[in-house]
Amino acid sequence: MSIVTGALRNVRDVARDPRSWWQRSKGNIELWANLIVLGWALVFMLWRGGGFAITVGSVFAIWAILAVSLNLVVGYAGLLSVGHIGFLGIGAYTTAVLTSHASYEQLRTEAIPTFGWPFFAALPFSVLLAGVVALVVGVAFNRFRDDIYVLVSFGFAVIAFTTFLSWRNLTRGAFGIHEIARPAIGPWVFDGELEFLALLLVFLGLVVLIAWLIVTSSFGRVLTAIREDEQAIQVFGYRTTHYKLAIWVISAMIAGLAGALLASWSTFIDPNSFVLLESVLLVSIVILGGLASIWGSLLGALAFVMLEEGMRFVPFLPSEFIGQIRQVILGILLVLLMLFRPQGLVGRFKL
Amino acid sequence: MSVARLRDASVVSFLKIREQQSRLLAMALAVAIVAYIGWKIVQSPDQALQFAFNGLAVGAVYALLAMGFTFVYSTVWFFDLYYGAAAAIGAYGVFYLRSHDVLGGQYAVNSGPVNVLFAVVTAGVAAWALHVLCYRRFQGRAQPRTLLIIGGLLAAAVGVYTGLVLANPANLHVLLSPLVAVLVTGGATWVLRRGFQRVVAPATRGPLGAMVTVAIVVGVLVAILVANTPSLGLYLSWGVACLLSGTVSLALYRGLYVTMRERANSPLIMLVASLGILLAITAFITIVFRAAPRPLPEAFGSEPWTIGGANIKGFNVFAIGLAVAGFGVLLFLVKKTAFGKAVRAIGDDEEVAKVVGINTTVIIAVVFFIGAVYAALAGLVSGHDTAIQPRMGLLLLLKGWIASVVGGIGSLYGAIVGGFALGMLEQFGIWDLAGEWRDVISFIVLIVFLSFWPQGLLPRK
Repeated sequence: MSIVTGALRNVRDVARDPRSWWQRSKGNIELWANLIVLGWALVFMLWRGGGFAITVGSVFAIWAILAVSLNLVVGYAGLLSVGHIGFLGIGAYTTAVLTSHASYEQLRTEAIPTFGWPFFAALPFSVLLAGVVALVVGVAFNRFRDDIYVLVSFGFAVIAFTTFLSWRNLTRGAFGIHEIARPAIGPWVFDGELEFLALLLVFLGLVVLIAWLIVTSSFGRVLTAIREDEQAIQVFGYRTTHYKLAIWVISAMIAGLAGALLASWSTFIDPNSFVLLESVLLVSIVILGGLASIWGSLLGALAFVMLEEGMRFVPFLPSEFIGQIRQVILGILLVLLMLFRPQGLVGRFKL
Repeated sequence: MSVARLRDASVVSFLKIREQQSRLLAMALAVAIVAYIGWKIVQSPDQALQFAFNGLAVGAVYALLAMGFTFVYSTVWFFDLYYGAAAAIGAYGVFYLRSHDVLGGQYAVNSGPVNVLFAVVTAGVAAWALHVLCYRRFQGRAQPRTLLIIGGLLAAAVGVYTGLVLANPANLHVLLSPLVAVLVTGGATWVLRRGFQRVVAPATRGPLGAMVTVAIVVGVLVAILVANTPSLGLYLSWGVACLLSGTVSLALYRGLYVTMRERANSPLIMLVASLGILLAITAFITIVFRAAPRPLPEAFGSEPWTIGGANIKGFNVFAIGLAVAGFGVLLFLVKKTAFGKAVRAIGDDEEVAKVVGINTTVIIAVVFFIGAVYAALAGLVSGHDTAIQPRMGLLLLLKGWIASVVGGIGSLYGAIVGGFALGMLEQFGIWDLAGEWRDVISFIVLIVFLSFWPQGLLPRK
């Protein structure tokens, strides 16, 4: 809420006395990050029109849900997890297997079990399965911290990816799963892109609300305390492992939700969406946007999506290199952020 | 039952393993692994020998990676993820220089911008090296401007030379022969002087002119020999790739890490920053060479030898030898030389090392250079063994990281033992599974080790 009132106050100040506002906010990086990213997005949407805005909005919503979920773990609990893409994959594959109704006789490849469930029946299972896996993984990972945590979470991403690729009886390996169901409420199917975008934004709003409730509650304050000094908060009698495990499971469940939405949105998934590098990109989004700030995660996801879309219009840039050049830019951004602004654009916590 | 008691009975507490139970579980696990491998060996000894050979071959690469990684880590105490990119640069450097030789040159790559980029980077590193190594010696003897011009010209010459070498990979043996001459002459002079002082007449300077003449003659002869042997191109390209990888790491160290460590010396910040570098370099390699796997040209020893019913390639035996030799060299450097003493001092306490007069910047730079060379060696050995692809950097980095943690982070003995142990465990692990699960197995090994033996096999004392 403070964001809204702050923004309103800024607008009022600009109108009242532009020169003194300029003097005061020259060095305010947060303000400029907000203005630049939001302005860039706005200009692009207006320029490219509705269809573009819908596609970009959908991609943004999925990345934003993921980024908010990862920020709960990285920013608030202080566990730098690089393996979050695994939970996205678990959610996506659960929804895909449960709702796909492809007939593999026609494709003349090996068949996998098809269930043909509706999307909203499969969604809770995706979320729950991600949570259960997170519980098991979290119990094993709870004793690690800092750089060793990075290493073992790399391990989780690798294990998840290899499972998606190699458990061919369930996931069809590199062939991927086709014809994943679109969500439907009664006779109303979310078939159009605009309807799906609305659904995604509803879920994004829900996730942001949940995250906001978590971080402003006493539970969230204990997490922040664990991040700052784990031993000190243990002295006060808090079982820090329980708290860390709880936020880890919640975060994984939100990532599973994002995966279910991703699978249904693209109606086709294969393991290439869940490689280790994507996971690293996700971490860089969270760090770019700002640690321990939900708004920062939204901003980071928006900047990331706009970066990719913006590069499509750079002249003399072959389209097959866009992903790679985006990766170069993100890598360099990560270095610059670590050098000059370790808390990210609008973050509250320095690594 | 109170709320607290209820909380105690929750899932986590139930799964929280006490110290003694943990030790028991670890022992049971170790016994199970040994029993499994033993059972496999009894079941089919020939196949077991084959898997053991494969494990040694893979383990040699991991050992090389782990040694360099642990060497750097135990000096600066942060995980430098650029290390993976160093391995990829090593492998792709060999590919870049020999691409006209691979599969009839259908993947031939040689781009002007890359050559210029490396020329500039090398020139910059050379300028810094000249400044650090020679500036003080000549400080009083000439005008600062003269020194600056001479140094700049020398650095530019080094850069141009690098660019020329990279632009003409087909004539590598000719282009590199002057460098070989210089290196051999220097080495021969050192050997002659040392031998004279040790064997013939201790505590004298000896006939310096005669020794230098002999050394120059030897150097020129070797250089002529090299210039007339085109088949040496591949092995010269190994050297160039290692040097390039080391140069990039020096540039990164001086250009970035020094500043960063002054600003905020937090291991996590350094790790994330080096992760960014790894991302950027991996993407850069993909842009230049494309994402598809590429083969490296055939090295020597591609015919398998049969020993006791199992096959091993001569090249793999060479790789194992390389790992052992690399271990010996590193051990000698650390234990027997003044440089090693300085490295250990920096590892113990960098501030104190600085106070007692060690030039920490230069020593750490050399450590980074050595680490990158080991990574590049591992990268090109594994590239000759299988194939190269841009994401090999990240995978090799993770394997080296795992091997050094399994062996005991910071310990050289641990690194070599951990590397070979990881290779063996991985190969025996995929006996009943498909080969694509090997990464999973190595991470499971890591998590088991971290849970039960967090110190590793041979911890640093």
